[in-house]
Amino acid sequence: MIVAERKPIEKVLEMIAPYKKVLVAGCYGCVTVCLAGGEKEVGILASQIRLARSKDGNPIEVVEQTVERQCDAEYLAKFQDNVSSVEAVVSLACGIGIQYLAEKSPVPVFPGVNTLFLGANLDVGKWAERCFACGDCVLDKTGGICPIARCSKSLLNGPCGGSQYGKCEVSKDVDCGWQLIYDRLKALGQLDKLKEIIPAKNWKRDKGPRTLVREELTLERD
Amino acid sequence: MAKNNKNIRIGIYLCDCDGKISKNIDLEKVKTVIQSEADFEYIRITSALCGKIEKEKLAGEIDKYSLNRLLIAGCTDQFIRRQFLQVAEEKGMTRYDVEFVDLSSVQDGSEGAVAVINSVLAKIQLRGEIVIEEIEVTPQVLVIGCGKEGAKAALAIAKNQPVVMVEGDPGVADGIPLVKGAPNISIKAGARVAGIEGFAGNFTVRFIENGQLVKQKFGAVVVALEAQPVYDKSKYGGLELGEHVLTLSQFLAREKSFSGQKVTFVLGKADADSLLSYAKTLEAAIDLKEKGAAEVNILYEDMKVSADQLEQNYEIARAKGVNFLKYVGEIEFYSTVIAATVQYREPFLTQLDPLRITSDYLVLAEDYVPSPETKELADALEIRLGPAGFFQDDNVHFLPVKSNREGIYFVGSCHGPIHGVEIDREVATVVAEVGRFASGKVKVPALQPRVDPEKCAVCLTCYRTCPHKAIEIVHDESLNNLYHSAARMNPLACRRCGTCAAECPGKAIQLPYYSDQEILQEISKPPKIVAYACENSGFLASEYAKELDPELQENLQIVRVPCSGKIDVIYLLKALERGADGVMLLVCHKENCKFVWGNERAEKRKGQVRKLLKDIGLEEERIDFVHIAANQGNQFNAAVRAMAERIHQLGTNAGKVIK
Repeated sequence: MIVAERKPIEKVLEMIAPYKKVLVAGCYGCVTVCLAGGEKEVGILASQIRLARSKDGNPIEVVEQTVERQCDAEYLAKFQDNVSSVEAVVSLACGIGIQYLAEKSPVPVFPGVNTLFLGANLDVGKWAERCFACGDCVLDKTGGICPIARCSKSLLNGPCGGSQYGKCEVSKDVDCGWQLIYDRLKALGQLDKLKEIIPAKNWKRDKGPRTLVREELTLERD
Repeated sequence: MAKNNKNIRIGIYLCDCDGKISKNIDLEKVKTVIQSEADFEYIRITSALCGKIEKEKLAGEIDKYSLNRLLIAGCTDQFIRRQFLQVAEEKGMTRYDVEFVDLSSVQDGSEGAVAVINSVLAKIQLRGEIVIEEIEVTPQVLVIGCGKEGAKAALAIAKNQPVVMVEGDPGVADGIPLVKGAPNISIKAGARVAGIEGFAGNFTVRFIENGQLVKQKFGAVVVALEAQPVYDKSKYGGLELGEHVLTLSQFLAREKSFSGQKVTFVLGKADADSLLSYAKTLEAAIDLKEKGAAEVNILYEDMKVSADQLEQNYEIARAKGVNFLKYVGEIEFYSTVIAATVQYREPFLTQLDPLRITSDYLVLAEDYVPSPETKELADALEIRLGPAGFFQDDNVHFLPVKSNREGIYFVGSCHGPIHGVEIDREVATVVAEVGRFASGKVKVPALQPRVDPEKCAVCLTCYRTCPHKAIEIVHDESLNNLYHSAARMNPLACRRCGTCAAECPGKAIQLPYYSDQEILQEISKPPKIVAYACENSGFLASEYAKELDPELQENLQIVRVPCSGKIDVIYLLKALERGADGVMLLVCHKENCKFVWGNERAEKRKGQVRKLLKDIGLEEERIDFVHIAANQGNQFNAAVRAMAERIHQLGTNAGKVIK
């Protein structure tokens, strides 16, 4: 899941300072699941904006709406009526949703969240990074633990000299990703896998921004 | 307003409270206006609905007009309200079907009264009908623990429904002989509970039996793992046990007669906080005297008799000649091959040298510790432990036999050392509880929260924050969302605290009778202070507070919530947005939430909202958080006065949104 967190309110207020009517746009996808941009957070941000602007003697009208996913055009279409009646939009979707909504919107769209990482929800209110979306998965070689996401240096052949007592030199609260890989491979009886040198990665960015087109699935639209 | 439902048949009673109400309000006028506007079955003005004849009349009218909702407008007396609730419940209504309107505190006379009554009528319509669900359940009950306590519970339950007893350690299964041959009871020896799925009425328990995983269905689970006595010699000056020095449980297991012997019991050094050793010692001392012991002494620091039968047994023991000897401070112990001696100080004759008693047998109370299986079982059943590793939190709101999950019960010393009479009482309660499942069907009003599948992102937030493990994620093609899945609250497992609804990031969950719409409607035009009050503490305190200082009510609005865990962040913000100057959260005392951790969730949300306000330059002091108990009316008023003073200092809430 994509994990995001609310932007500080002062940033949001700064972005919408010139406007008198805005839409706070939520998403029922990842940002609902990570408690950053669902219908509840939309209500909280909208209320906070109204209170702040009233306090400053500069009242604002805030419209609230949440759709299934802001990364699909069909769902974005649901914003049509509200978007055309406001001066600006604050989107609480991830960076993808914000951009896609911005493409479709006649008025400026601002980010209401910071998109942090691809991660797991460890418990209520706790998330941790697990994937970098590198495009060339090596989890088969590393006991199912990603060296790119879990090693602070994203080393493909670790650990480095900064690993001590299972922790990373970056912080004593951060596990050494390569220690985790070692422990896991040992438990699996596959320590010999460490003998293999993983070659430098193809980051799949050699042709610029990544796209995925599967010809067998695409529709022939005119 | 929601479309009126013709199955909702409301009876309206306008009570004059012996002329008190008509001083400010023209009830005839109110009746005429309501008759012309509202949708109801029956309306009547009465001079005092609390009269005895009136109650019979009310019951008759409920039948005559087939009323299924009541709106009683009049006084605020809680005792009288309970009487009406009783009448309504006898006629098949629930407490949610009866609404009370306090006419004594209504502003703006008759017009105000009409407005309040209309808003409550609208709320009744909005709530709609309650569906009674009939759920198929498994009558079979699992009793965990084959000791005497488990056997007692099993024998009692087996009179109504089948029982399976399970015991991991065959060594302590001293109750098994008691149930041998009893009908309706089967025993799984050497099996261990590994996990549980499902809900009250329909649990599937996973056992590890002879190394194999076995699954079996049960309607309910009764935990009866007995506490175990442990002799801690450090509490007795390092005294080793021996021929003349016995623990209380060794002594109780005796077979030989102590006729003609001297026996001294020592209490208060171990197990100081429970009554179990005191109860057992008194019984043993009486028994010894009856069987001809030469001398029986009970050495005690404080004689604890605060349970049924104990004081009586104390009197009997005294009458039979048992010596009760009070000591203070340390005791010294000496043991020889022929006798045992204790040396102690008498608290009142302080000038005296230490006293010595030499007996044939010295009997020492032990500490009671949870059965070693307790922690593992708590994890397997997903139920909570409390002080000293026994089952159940130390919380005045919890019923002794109930765990934090519906359908899982405690009997006996698994939740702290208790003795005979109390165990009998617990067994009787559990028999009644599990008896609901005996027929294989249970009818339950579907009052659990509703989930809108279109909004449910199956994020698991509700599932994880439910204190009662009452939520499952169900998959069904008819569920209209991406996943064809949604959270579902089980009607038999849910205790309706509303924590899930307040936590839901998609606003997909609504608790009947406390929906966001209903609660936010209550604060459509808030006065200076809005107080969200838990109905188990703050709300009751506010009712009492009203009697102590009626004038304080003027600028205060109480919003009743089922638990402080239901107080949503948005409720606090909306109150401020709509013009309140201060918002209070009135919650149960720490570790005393009826729903385990609602008050902790509320405290976190207070912190969250205070930060939201601080970040935009509004005073965080406008949010107040008060721990309160139901009987603290005076403290309630003190908190309201403090809040009023604070907002007086702060001035008007600059954030209010003027339309």
